[in-house]
Amino acid sequence: MTELERALTSLDVDWPVTPAFDLRRPARRRAWAVALAAALLALGVAFAVPQSRAALLRVLHVGGVTVERVQTLPAAQERPLASTLGMRVSAAEAEALLGRPFGVQARLYRSGDVVSALLRGPVVLSELRTGVGTMILKKLVGTGTTVRYVRADGAPGVWITGAPHVVLAPELPPRLVGNVLVWVRGAITYRLEGKALTLDAAQDLAGLVRDR
Amino acid sequence: MDEVALVAAAQRGGEDAFAAVVRPHLDVSFRLAYVITGSAADAEDAVQDALVKAWRALGRFREGEPVRPWLLRIVANEARNRRRSSGRRVRLALRAAAEPPVVGEAVDHRGLLEALHALPEDAQAVLTCRYLLGLSERETAAALDVAPGTVKSRTSRALDRLRELYD
Repeated sequence: MTELERALTSLDVDWPVTPAFDLRRPARRRAWAVALAAALLALGVAFAVPQSRAALLRVLHVGGVTVERVQTLPAAQERPLASTLGMRVSAAEAEALLGRPFGVQARLYRSGDVVSALLRGPVVLSELRTGVGTMILKKLVGTGTTVRYVRADGAPGVWITGAPHVVLAPELPPRLVGNVLVWVRGAITYRLEGKALTLDAAQDLAGLVRDR
Repeated sequence: MDEVALVAAAQRGGEDAFAAVVRPHLDVSFRLAYVITGSAADAEDAVQDALVKAWRALGRFREGEPVRPWLLRIVANEARNRRRSSGRRVRLALRAAAEPPVVGEAVDHRGLLEALHALPEDAQAVLTCRYLLGLSERETAAALDVAPGTVKSRTSRALDRLRELYD
């Protein structure tokens, strides 16, 4: 070992203290739940304090989206994504609804206060402004559907995958939907939906959706 | 129980065995993640998520292989995923010296660390892994996702460059 190598080895670096980790059947960090709850509380959205992770996933409010686990799903049909978007709106009308421009340049649609665009995939990107107490979209998931915490573009969110779940949206009949990523950034709740959507693809897309 | 036996027990679903397998490597895992992400919070998340992946991947772990490079590779991948969006670069600091510096001390630790920070990213990474974290060439290769031969050549070039900056 040279003198320089010895000098490098002798550097007494002030490393941050190693935190405690969950080692027995490790699960994704509980801090995610805390971070998500903090983000939602900051938005003034009700959030049930979890007694356990299972309890947390029974009813979950993610911005303007509520995810509820149920034993039996209500009757619902799968519909083509293009038929679920609502009526056409201009970019200016969408901006008035959201308080800022929509995250991507595309043909925009509106259903209630939800603004959506159909992207290649096909994938639907929806945005909704998260107001105090607002609960705009409700998702009912059965036992075959997995709901887990993820990060989307650095923000806390949830990934819903597995068996199709039912979404209840304003002005639209209940419908069966596939994989969905929901995340909250600032005052906007974002949602990506696609039957063949993967988490990696959804997270990549989330990185492209920015304030314009 | 040695590492091989602990891994086998963990593969059979033994949670305590899994904890015993990874616990000795947590400090170096967290520091490696910190070096890559530049953030203690991101490093913590990266290691926790890496532990989840390691637990799930245990079934594919090859019997008799050392755990540390395998775990460090998973940790480094998780850390890099977080780093891509942040664009941060770590700046290490020296622990405050308990004793005042000796006049005429042969090694200027602060100057050496500054020179290390001034290196290109690849060079800084390989020297940090090898000398500050004390990783072997194999472990460094796993952490940086390069071939062991690349670690050797990159280390040699990085030391030459560091010598130029430090002298």
